[in-house]
Amino acid sequence: MSAPAIGGVSIACLFLLMFLRIPVWAALSLVGFCGIGVLSGWQSAWAVAGTAPFDTASAYTLSVIPLFVLMGEVASSTRLSADLFLAAQKMLSGLRGGLSYAAIAASACFGAVCGSSIATAATMSRIALPEMRKAGYDDGLSTGSLAAGGSLGILIPPSIILVIYAAIAEQSVPKLFAAALIPGLVLTALYILAAAVTIRLRPGYAPEPISVSFREKIAALADPWQFIALFVVSIGGIYAGIFSPTEAAAVGAFGAIVLGIVGRRVTGQQLLASLETTVLTSGLLFIIIIGANLFSFFMVQTHLPDLMISYAEMWALPPSLVMALIIVAYVVMGCFLEGIGMVLITVPVFLPLIVKFGYDPVWFSIIVVIVVELGLIHPPVGMNLFVIQAQAPDIKLTSIYRGILPFLVAPFGLIILLFVFPELALWLPRQLYR
Amino acid sequence: MSATSKSSSVAPTRSDFILRLGRAQMWLAAAAIVAMMLVTVVDVVMRYAFNNPVRGAYDFTEAMLVVFAFHGMAACFVARTNIVIDLIDGFIGAPFKRFLQRLADLVSLGLLLVLTYAAWKPAFQAFGNGETKLQLSLPIWMLWAVALVGLVGTVVCAAWLLAKPLGALPVAGSSE
Repeated sequence: MSAPAIGGVSIACLFLLMFLRIPVWAALSLVGFCGIGVLSGWQSAWAVAGTAPFDTASAYTLSVIPLFVLMGEVASSTRLSADLFLAAQKMLSGLRGGLSYAAIAASACFGAVCGSSIATAATMSRIALPEMRKAGYDDGLSTGSLAAGGSLGILIPPSIILVIYAAIAEQSVPKLFAAALIPGLVLTALYILAAAVTIRLRPGYAPEPISVSFREKIAALADPWQFIALFVVSIGGIYAGIFSPTEAAAVGAFGAIVLGIVGRRVTGQQLLASLETTVLTSGLLFIIIIGANLFSFFMVQTHLPDLMISYAEMWALPPSLVMALIIVAYVVMGCFLEGIGMVLITVPVFLPLIVKFGYDPVWFSIIVVIVVELGLIHPPVGMNLFVIQAQAPDIKLTSIYRGILPFLVAPFGLIILLFVFPELALWLPRQLYR
Repeated sequence: MSATSKSSSVAPTRSDFILRLGRAQMWLAAAAIVAMMLVTVVDVVMRYAFNNPVRGAYDFTEAMLVVFAFHGMAACFVARTNIVIDLIDGFIGAPFKRFLQRLADLVSLGLLLVLTYAAWKPAFQAFGNGETKLQLSLPIWMLWAVALVGLVGTVVCAAWLLAKPLGALPVAGSSE
């Protein structure tokens, strides 16, 4: 059997193992270890298995993961999210559907200090969902706005998934963070547009608006100053070239803790709980990355990406069709694979193809994050939908599925925009890191 | 989402020891994160305010990352937070699901043993060649020792999971 054929069979085995409830890290490690053993000999497999975990665990660039997770966890346990929502609520009052727009905007802002989609969805829905239901918003619109808004957490920097992509694709984290900012803002606008169109078509979904005075709106802007300070200092520090990503993450996490303690927004107990969650979340990511490193090492040896390139060239497939096929593959996989696992499995296979066909790996990272976001919100298995239902178990899952449908158009719209205007992702990194 | 509940109502003695081991490794990993954060913040302040960065901050961060990663693993196993794709759960009966869970625990333990065994050789090599971190002059073998202790602790926790009756454990989580 040829090396690419072994690679193909191994990928099938990987999916089978995951389908049989073998943990993602174990499936990746097992296929990687055995694959290297079969292709390059068992001595080589033992050598890689011995060094890959240590190399992963001592990679300075990955130190941003626990630090950004800590920053997000502490921010989630303070009332930062409530301040953001209240400010957005006041700013957007007077508009029909204002609370829906406020939920999306506040989620986008919260995503700027929290690199996790699920944490953003859970935190914002705790604050916004009761308010929206009390105000008489349709349950589907409310949950749809929150699920969609929550998914922005992994696109708007800091994004854990971009850090992981950077590690496996050997890209610069600051460049990826810069590339994600404009698409993140565009996607926020598209989600708000989706909510506006829904409300236009079904006015009964949102109650009559209540307006507050202009003075109150201006005053509301001052409330979430802690959030602005955190974002400007940490992510702004990366963009300005003052901090490395690790330094920005450390300063951000420290800042979140100090703001929480000084403002008496967080107790010692909550801080310890945040630390515990940080260890579990980041530890889990590291185990998976270790498995992915083994798998990735094996994938390189299979020359499977080379075979895919030669087939694409033999069939004279245009680059845009290759890219479209890859996106379709991601959307299908997003139905049953978890986001980080999907990135770790697919990027080593697809990236050489992308580069060969002239696409920028930085641009591709944004496409990957968008399709992962899509996987988080599309029925039947979108994780954000379940997270939100857990906050309000009396809302039927069918209402949540109905509510998210109009928002699913937005990520596809952004992908098309990125195809037509790649500069949406590439302009800012070029300006910042010439 | 991954289940993060902690197992409770366990038999005394050995189970208590394993849970304590898992908790100790968890707090060691947490301490490493805090240390990493504090040293990096001090380094940034010293560099910009006094033009005098902390010597070895980079090496220290890498060292703490090793402590965190290898000891955080054990906590993940004790809390059963591994990501599992639960697509077939709706189509299979409880006994088959239990069998698959046991199979997953067995595969995980087997792989952890492979990783632990495989790490001995490079660890001894690091001890033999006397390599050190550039700025801190910290011998690399010490970090390998930390990694091995973490891995052995994780193996113990994973073996404990396999030895426990499934009913006494939280169900492994699924998806992000």
